[in-house]
Amino acid sequence: MSKVLLSRLVSLIVILIALSAIVFVLEAVIPSDPVRVMVGASASRQAVQAERVKLGMNKPLPVQYLLFVGRALEGNLAESLHTHRPVTSDLAQFLPATIELAGAAAVLALVLGTFLGLATARGKGTAARLLMLAGASAPPFLLALALVLAFYSHWHLFPASGDISANLAAPTGPTHIVVLDGLLHGNLRVVSDGLWHLALPSICLALGPAVAIGRTLRSSLQTVLAQDHIRTARAKGLKERTVLLRHALRSALNAPLTMTGLQIGLMLAGVVVIESVFAWPGIGLYTVQSITATDFPAIAGVTLVLGALYVVVNTVVDLAQMAADPRLRAS
Amino acid sequence: MRTRRGIRWSALVIALGLLTAACGGKGTTSAGSSPSTTLKLAYLGDMSVPDPDVFYDIEGNTVILSVYQGLVDYAPDSTTIEGVLATSWTISPDGLTYTFHLRSGVTFQDGTPFNSAAVEASFKRRTEVNSAPAYMLNQVAGYATPDPMTFVITLKTPWAPFMDYLASSWGPKIISPKVLTDQAGSDYAQTYLKDHAVGTGPYSLTAFNRGQNYVLTAYSGYWGAKPFFQTVNIAIQPDINQQILQLKAGGLDVILNGYPIAELPAAQSDASLSVQNFSSYLQSLLYFNVGKAPFNNVALRQDIAADIQRNQIVSEVYGSYGVPAASPYAPGILDQSLAPIDYPTQTVKAPAGTPPIVLAYTQDDSGIQSRLAQLIQQNLAAQGFQVTVKETTNAQVYGYASSAQTLAQSPDLLLMTNTPDAASPDTWARILWGTGGGLNFLGYSNPQVDSLLNAADVSTDPTTRNTDYGKAGQLLDNDYGILFLADTRDVMVMQKNLSGVEHVPNYPWALNLADLKRN
Repeated sequence: MSKVLLSRLVSLIVILIALSAIVFVLEAVIPSDPVRVMVGASASRQAVQAERVKLGMNKPLPVQYLLFVGRALEGNLAESLHTHRPVTSDLAQFLPATIELAGAAAVLALVLGTFLGLATARGKGTAARLLMLAGASAPPFLLALALVLAFYSHWHLFPASGDISANLAAPTGPTHIVVLDGLLHGNLRVVSDGLWHLALPSICLALGPAVAIGRTLRSSLQTVLAQDHIRTARAKGLKERTVLLRHALRSALNAPLTMTGLQIGLMLAGVVVIESVFAWPGIGLYTVQSITATDFPAIAGVTLVLGALYVVVNTVVDLAQMAADPRLRAS
Repeated sequence: MRTRRGIRWSALVIALGLLTAACGGKGTTSAGSSPSTTLKLAYLGDMSVPDPDVFYDIEGNTVILSVYQGLVDYAPDSTTIEGVLATSWTISPDGLTYTFHLRSGVTFQDGTPFNSAAVEASFKRRTEVNSAPAYMLNQVAGYATPDPMTFVITLKTPWAPFMDYLASSWGPKIISPKVLTDQAGSDYAQTYLKDHAVGTGPYSLTAFNRGQNYVLTAYSGYWGAKPFFQTVNIAIQPDINQQILQLKAGGLDVILNGYPIAELPAAQSDASLSVQNFSSYLQSLLYFNVGKAPFNNVALRQDIAADIQRNQIVSEVYGSYGVPAASPYAPGILDQSLAPIDYPTQTVKAPAGTPPIVLAYTQDDSGIQSRLAQLIQQNLAAQGFQVTVKETTNAQVYGYASSAQTLAQSPDLLLMTNTPDAASPDTWARILWGTGGGLNFLGYSNPQVDSLLNAADVSTDPTTRNTDYGKAGQLLDNDYGILFLADTRDVMVMQKNLSGVEHVPNYPWALNLADLKRN
């Protein structure tokens, strides 16, 4: 296990260096002048140049990159050109909401994916198969629009934006994850309001990954169910549910877990669209605003955070696979 | 078994929680029987900061103008300058000394009394912070406060647009001197004012949740008429379609900008909605890259002007919310007859050997820019021009004229919609077609234009000044340096039960919240 952690740590460093370098190269090849945008159309050339010097953007790109890496190692990701605040402060503010949404969606995807896989593994479950077909073919933004039309505009059951109602004061910490902070403060109104706001965006984000996980699990289960030890279990007179849940599921988990890691990685990309549609105050929303403003310090910060999250998620999945399959631990 | 029962209970608790929240939520999102005194607005993106000496966006104007006030502003739907924190003012005959008599009985939202020392501190801070809007005080030589209710500004030279800068939404605003002292730090209180605001306006900024919402609360000590709306919640909602759905469901009261023109007829036919349009200085422009072939040739630029069917394009894209531009100066900034547009209308075939043309445009949420670009492409293609359309960003556009090399690599044509900082011809002409101007993105330059603008700038005679601005506009027209496609309206869609809607052409996408009411 320590070997896995060490190799993931090394890959994390390599990935972060590569990602930050790519962002800097992009900044160099895109002919833009974010400093001019920042200081305004009427600012003199001297004022623009002064701001450029202040931000260190007058230096050659490799020097800027090395300075960026040096500062990043100290936890300083420079100042956002749009918000005029340290990027680390912005990330600290926006990241918890994304963790909340992506976390809820991941749990939902796992639960729903497992249900779909189990329900369809034995060739039954027509409704589940239809759901899988629909889920696989529905683009997240379209699904988002449909859910908003139905549950917000028509039935007025769920809100269409934000992570908490405007008239409800969110707890000020410690995690800045609304539902979790509500629980920690014992404020059930905040908890229920947070869950109420989470419902539509997390379903939109979870449905695609759930279908992918479900299909992989179904395929994997179908292979396992045809193996000898399952036939033996059935011959012993075990109930079909017991055979499926106790004997087949664990053997079939490897492939779905790999798929889960992949899907959660993709989910981090999907979060940008979903957060924009649902005005979810997370990293996706911050990214969209940063890209619009060509705010490279912010874009670099987001890239590093999402890259790190991706590696962490995949490490967790690797560890889960090892827990589920003793052969992997041995190897 | 115990586990399964536990799961069932958990599911039940969550479901009940959601149901309770849903039931509770409906009460908070729909209007009650008596008119709600909470106004719900949305922005498509976060404003940069609520610091009036740094803020230089359009999105956010409503916040700044509701919390802060300057010495003067523009009267609704006009360019008339009226007193706000100044009740009257005089300008010396040489145009160098401006004396403002201040309003008494005004307090800041933190209770600090308003006086000339507060005004001086705020004006000085703008220059010290030296961010985007600092240029509006570039010609100031000094300030004086002869008594607590008199404030004097002395300029280095006469400066025609100065009063307009003071009235601009980005002009100097007066910040509580207590904040400037207590929160000064090493950056003139910039750190504090990144998410706080304390001015003399009708509303206090009581919450600034970046990425989430801003809350304005009526200031009980406001010196003017008390606003109807006690709370204004401005949500950050980057998806215009979501904003529209929320407006129709009653979750929003006004969509301030970005409403797709194509969907306005549906909004007009909605019994609960009202489509309002206001005078604005927003102009749709087509820049020529005059520094490189093929548009370094004025005759070809003239051909393009002839081939673009402005009437048809403007009618198709803007409907009744825009007209073909009559002058390089938007209506209200300058008498348009001083610089009338007279583009040829007889179409001309593309000369043989004309290379392919790249037309770039900046995207907007209403989809107007992309539609305009498509129609221009079609007009020019009909005459044999080969036009490629591409989307670009503001930051890229600002980079075009940063050097001769970048200019040479920039698109041949650039389509944008812009608005001046203030209702003065200087603030428009100088930055748009003066050499090196901040919005002169594709490098147009004419020394005669620059001389005329410089002369007008220091002239104290309004007639001479305006004549010079007019001549500068005519020279640009004769050069076909920039084509002025449309004078457009500021369009907002709101609930029909709102009244007291006031708008100033120079304050785009903003409403005067203090006068707004719900019937």
